[in-house]
Amino acid sequence: MAAMAGGGTRRCRRLEAEAARAVLGAADTLLFDCDGVLWRGEAAIGGAAATLGRLAAAGKRLCYVTNNSSRTRAAYTEKLRRLGFPPAEPRHVFGSAYCAARYLRQALPPGASAYVLGSPALAAELEAVGVPNLGPGPAALPGPAPADWAQAPLDPAVRAVLVGFDEHFSYAKLCQALRYLLRGGSDCLLVGTNRDHRLPLEGGTAIPGTGCLVKAVETAAQREAFIVGKPNRFMFDCVVSEFGIDPARTIMVGDRLDTDILMGTSCGLTTLLTLTGVTTLEEVRAHQESDCPARHSLVPDYYVDSIADLLPALGGE
Amino acid sequence: MASCRRLSGAGLREVLGPAQGLLFDCDGVLWAGERAVPGAPELLERLRRSGKAAFFVSNNSRRSVAELERRFSRLGFRGVRAEHVFSSALCSALFLRQRLLGPGGTGNGGSRVFVLGGEGLRGEVRDAGLRLAGEGEPAPGAAEPVRAVLVGYDDQFTFAKLAQACGYLRDPQCLLVATDPDPWHPLSDGQRTPGTGSLTAAVETASGRKALVVGKPNTYMFDCIVERFGIDPSRTLMVGDRLETDILFGKNCGLSTILTLTGVSRLEEAQAYMASDSAAAKDLVPNYYVDSIADLIPGLDE
Repeated sequence: MAAMAGGGTRRCRRLEAEAARAVLGAADTLLFDCDGVLWRGEAAIGGAAATLGRLAAAGKRLCYVTNNSSRTRAAYTEKLRRLGFPPAEPRHVFGSAYCAARYLRQALPPGASAYVLGSPALAAELEAVGVPNLGPGPAALPGPAPADWAQAPLDPAVRAVLVGFDEHFSYAKLCQALRYLLRGGSDCLLVGTNRDHRLPLEGGTAIPGTGCLVKAVETAAQREAFIVGKPNRFMFDCVVSEFGIDPARTIMVGDRLDTDILMGTSCGLTTLLTLTGVTTLEEVRAHQESDCPARHSLVPDYYVDSIADLLPALGGE
Repeated sequence: MASCRRLSGAGLREVLGPAQGLLFDCDGVLWAGERAVPGAPELLERLRRSGKAAFFVSNNSRRSVAELERRFSRLGFRGVRAEHVFSSALCSALFLRQRLLGPGGTGNGGSRVFVLGGEGLRGEVRDAGLRLAGEGEPAPGAAEPVRAVLVGYDDQFTFAKLAQACGYLRDPQCLLVATDPDPWHPLSDGQRTPGTGSLTAAVETASGRKALVVGKPNTYMFDCIVERFGIDPSRTLMVGDRLETDILFGKNCGLSTILTLTGVSRLEEAQAYMASDSAAAKDLVPNYYVDSIADLIPGLDE
C-alpha cells in the first residue's frame, strides 16, 4: 500500500502496525513541525528523539519546517542537539525567518533594504543572505508625539516591509511601516513571516502571535501581505530547492490543521497529525463531517497520539 | 440608490430648507489639522441664526469632549455647546457604562476597564463612573475583574499591552469594545497615521474575538444623540468626508447624506461605488456632495 499523497478523501486513520510500516517505508523524506510535535517549550516529547533516531538510521531525510520567526536555523540545530534529536545541519531547518530572508533576497532589487518589525534572529537571517535591513528592536523615536515620528527621515533604500514576531512592536513602528508602504506603493513589498494568532508558551499559556502584527499593518495599509509561512507553500518550495524531494514520497508531520496539514495537503504530501500539540481528534472529525470543501483540506491522511507511536513500526530495521 | 448630486443653487434651498438639524463629522469637514475649513465657522453661525441644530459626531477617540470644545474655540468656531458634541471617546464610555453598570448606572461599581488609548479617552471612561485597570498590573483575577477591554487610538500601543489585553479577554465575560473602525487618519502633509482599526485587528486576531465597534458607521453614536435630543432622522442631514464611515453611518441611521470634499474621500471614489454592482457599495454613495461646507451657506436664510 503506497503512501496516499494528494488524491482521494482524507480519512485521518490512526497510523499503526502494518499501515505504519508501509507508509514509512514508502517515504524518503519527513518534514516535521517542531512545537507540539518534537517538543513543548524546552521539554522533548517522550520518545520523539528515539523515533527520529530510528528514522535517520533507516536512511530517511529529516527536515524541520517551523513558522516560528524568532530563531535562526543555527539556534534550531542547537535546540535539536540539546534535546537529544539526531544531528541536523542548518540546511535541514526551514524556519520562517530564514525563508523570509530567502524570499526577499530573490524578490528585492540589488541594494534594496527591508524595514523589519521583528527579532534579532530575523535580522540575522537577512544579513546572512545579504539583505540590508533596519528596524529591529525598540523604535528610535525622534520625539514624543506621532507628529514627530511622521517627520523622521525615511531610508531611501527601503523597498520592503517585513513583519515577524516582534516583542518591541509599537504604534511608532507601525507608523514607520505604514510610511514606507505609502511611499513605495506597489514598489514596496509587504511580507509577513506567518499568520499564527498565538505563540504557545510552556505551561499552557500563549502570547499574541505574528499574525496579529501582520493584521495591524495590513489594516493600516489596506493591503495584503505575502505570507512566507505555513500553510502557504513558499517554505515547501524552499525545501524542494534545497533537496529536490518528491512530494509523493514525503510525509508532513504536524500538530496544527490550518498550517501543517493544510500545507501538506496543498503540496501533495502525505499528512500525519500528532495529538501532542494544539489539535484534538474531535476538531478533525468536525472538519471531516462538514459540507464545506475547504475544511476537507484540513483533514490529515493519518494521525498518531504521539510520534513515539511510530517506534514499533521502525523496530528491527 | 443615492445619486451623489452636487448640491448648489436651488437644490441647496430645497434640501436645507426643511432640515431641522445637521450632524457634522469634524476632521476633514470643519477643520483640517490646525486650520478651520474656510467658511466653516460662518456656516455654523448661519445655522444657529436659521434655528437649525448642529451636532458633531466624531470617530476621533483621542479627545475628550472638553478638549474638543477648546479646539472648536481655538479654531474660531463660536457658540458650540458641549452637549452637542459626540466623540467616540464619550460614546464608548456611555456604551460601557450601559453594559457594565446597568440602566441605573450604578450596578457593580467595581467594574474595571482596560483602556488602550490616551488620556482623553481614559478621562471619558472615568467620568462615566467606571474604573480603569492599570497598565502592567499582575495577572487577571486579582482584585476586581476586568470586565471590558476598550481599544481606542493608542499611540503608546505596545506588544506588552496587546498581551495584557489578551489575558483579560480569556474570560468570555470580558467585553471587547473598539471606539471606531478607522484604519488610518490623514496627516496635514498628506501622510497617514494608523487608526484604531489597525490596533483592533491585532487584538481581535490575538484573542479570537470580534470587537463591538461604537463609532461610525455603526449607529450607536446616533442612538446617543437621539436619547439626548430626540431628533427626527427624516429632517436631519449627515455631513461627512469619509464614505466608509460618515456616509454609511448616515445611510444606517436613515439620514440624507452630504459628502464634503475637504477631507479623505475623493469624488471619484463615490462615483466608483455608484457604478459598482455590489449592494454594499451602493450604501456608500452620498445623496449630495459639496466642495466644502462653506458651499452650504447660500442655502440658508440670511
